[in-house]
Amino acid sequence: MRKGGIRTRIQWALLVLAVGQASSGAQTASPSDQETIAQLVEQIKQLQQQDQDLLERIKILEARQPPASPVTESEPTGATVPQQSAEQTAPPPAPSPASHDWHDEHGVQFRGYGELDYKVLNQRQPELGTYGFVPGSQGNFYTGDFGLFLTSRLTDKTSVLAEMVFEEHDAQKYDVDLRRILLKYDYNDHLKMSFGRYQTDIGYYNWAFRSAAWLQTTADRPLVMEFASNGGLLPTQAIGVSVTGAIPSGKLGLNYVAEYGSSDTIRPDINGDGLFTDENNGNQTNVGLFARPDRLRGLQIGTSYYHDKISNFVLNGPSGAPLPPPPGSPGLSARFGQTIVNGYVVYAGHGIEFLNEGFLIRDAPLHLNYAVFDTPAFYSQLSKQIGRVRPFFRYQYVNASLNNFIYDDVGLRFGPSFGARYDLNDYIAFKAQLDHTTRSGGEPDLNGLRLQLAFTF
Amino acid sequence: MGVKSITTLLLLGLAVLSFVSKGMAQAEDIAVAADIAVVVSSSNPATTLSLGDLRKIFAGVKRSWPGGLPIKLVTRGAGCPERVALLKLLAMSEGEYKQYWTSQVFRGEADAEPLIVPSVGIQKEALNLFPGAISLVSVRDVKPGMKVIKIDGQMPGAAGYPLR
Repeated sequence: MRKGGIRTRIQWALLVLAVGQASSGAQTASPSDQETIAQLVEQIKQLQQQDQDLLERIKILEARQPPASPVTESEPTGATVPQQSAEQTAPPPAPSPASHDWHDEHGVQFRGYGELDYKVLNQRQPELGTYGFVPGSQGNFYTGDFGLFLTSRLTDKTSVLAEMVFEEHDAQKYDVDLRRILLKYDYNDHLKMSFGRYQTDIGYYNWAFRSAAWLQTTADRPLVMEFASNGGLLPTQAIGVSVTGAIPSGKLGLNYVAEYGSSDTIRPDINGDGLFTDENNGNQTNVGLFARPDRLRGLQIGTSYYHDKISNFVLNGPSGAPLPPPPGSPGLSARFGQTIVNGYVVYAGHGIEFLNEGFLIRDAPLHLNYAVFDTPAFYSQLSKQIGRVRPFFRYQYVNASLNNFIYDDVGLRFGPSFGARYDLNDYIAFKAQLDHTTRSGGEPDLNGLRLQLAFTF
Repeated sequence: MGVKSITTLLLLGLAVLSFVSKGMAQAEDIAVAADIAVVVSSSNPATTLSLGDLRKIFAGVKRSWPGGLPIKLVTRGAGCPERVALLKLLAMSEGEYKQYWTSQVFRGEADAEPLIVPSVGIQKEALNLFPGAISLVSVRDVKPGMKVIKIDGQMPGAAGYPLR
């Protein structure tokens, strides 16, 4: 580069000289012109000398360099790879691996997330309060979930993941929930296993957003994807084994997921009756397929099938004592086959997030001639990043029969939410969201405003 | 027209020709130098990757080499030409890239964000330390011990090489 620079300067000097000579053909050079020419000639000599010195220096440095191929190519090609400069190819002092901080390779990675919320809801009749929201209040602050997230690599293929969540409840009391504890073994891209407590891969939302509010565009989860401990309909967590991996499928990008475990769930009724449903169940099986086609980056299409056998023990919320089954119900010994079918189409790319998920939850009594209940649900969410702001719109729908003893507290609920997320920086986001929910059974509509400061660290 | 004038014109023509030809050669050099090589450890048997696979690797979707060796991503910091090429490859902004990797960690899809190294020397050291390491490096900074692999069958400098 230096040689090139010097040569360029010489060429410019020659050009100036030539122009000078051309003009001298028409007129006699004045003494001042002669002086200028003399100075230019002197500069050219100096530049030539510098050029020579540099060439000598390069020769010396090249002689010191150990013989080595500058680039280890996989195969000989005609590709032009420029020679490296002497400084770059000179062997660097061999630093030992310990001289750098490789702590992240073997130590514990520590992360976390949290949120501060303010919610206003025009409940005339208080419903369930979750995440610290006081039902029936005009509005109040709460901290939602505060999570501590740990990962540690044990070997090249084995690692541990733990997620502890401090979840606020009524009167600023906190429960600790070990939301995930996983021993993970990645044999290769086709076989990745996790053992422990996992979040079920029913659908997309539970996988994509896990527990952290900061990850979500909206301030809350769609009702159908809410955690069961907060009144959500799906078994969002289980203890057992989860296996996932890529299926060789070329540009279709197919992946599978298979889970087998226990998702023993106690779900509070969301209508504020103070009762809990203990879905004291058997072991769940969940299998799913999803595709991420190469041709449409950001598109993910998937489906999953979940099956479990559950009971419907009703518990008194405050005391935890079992209550007699509701009149007309199949009784305490009844078992229901619960099947959840999910399908989704998601696009997340170029700043656009377009989520569409549908569910059909079937609760069928086993060994009893009793009604089968289907609960359809879906949500659709669209957002677009514009600078630091991401406006969003979501519409959700859940239709549970009031005769379904498992979801009789839910009924029909549907409505839009809209708002915006503003990223203050890479770690803090502020969200504002308005909700409108229509309910069945003559219940008044619910209107809500939620403000959230979500952060990660 | 005198001899002096003809000599002057010749010199002028030569100077212009030399300048133009040198400029063209420099433009070629700049094009090659602007290419970003994909480098792996010299012990890695991989010789070529498709651009799609490279994208999946740097997005953390593809996490092991065909033999099962775990992939270790080694990247340069914000503002480096290699980082610019990486963001272009993933079609993300710097902010989106950071959010993406935070999400990947919370999802359990990655233990940590890709390793960020401050210099080519440490980049080379990381490649030696992790047999499954892969990194992007400006062609002019490729060092002995770094194995350059082809992308879509092309080496850096070839016409149509996708990373620049």
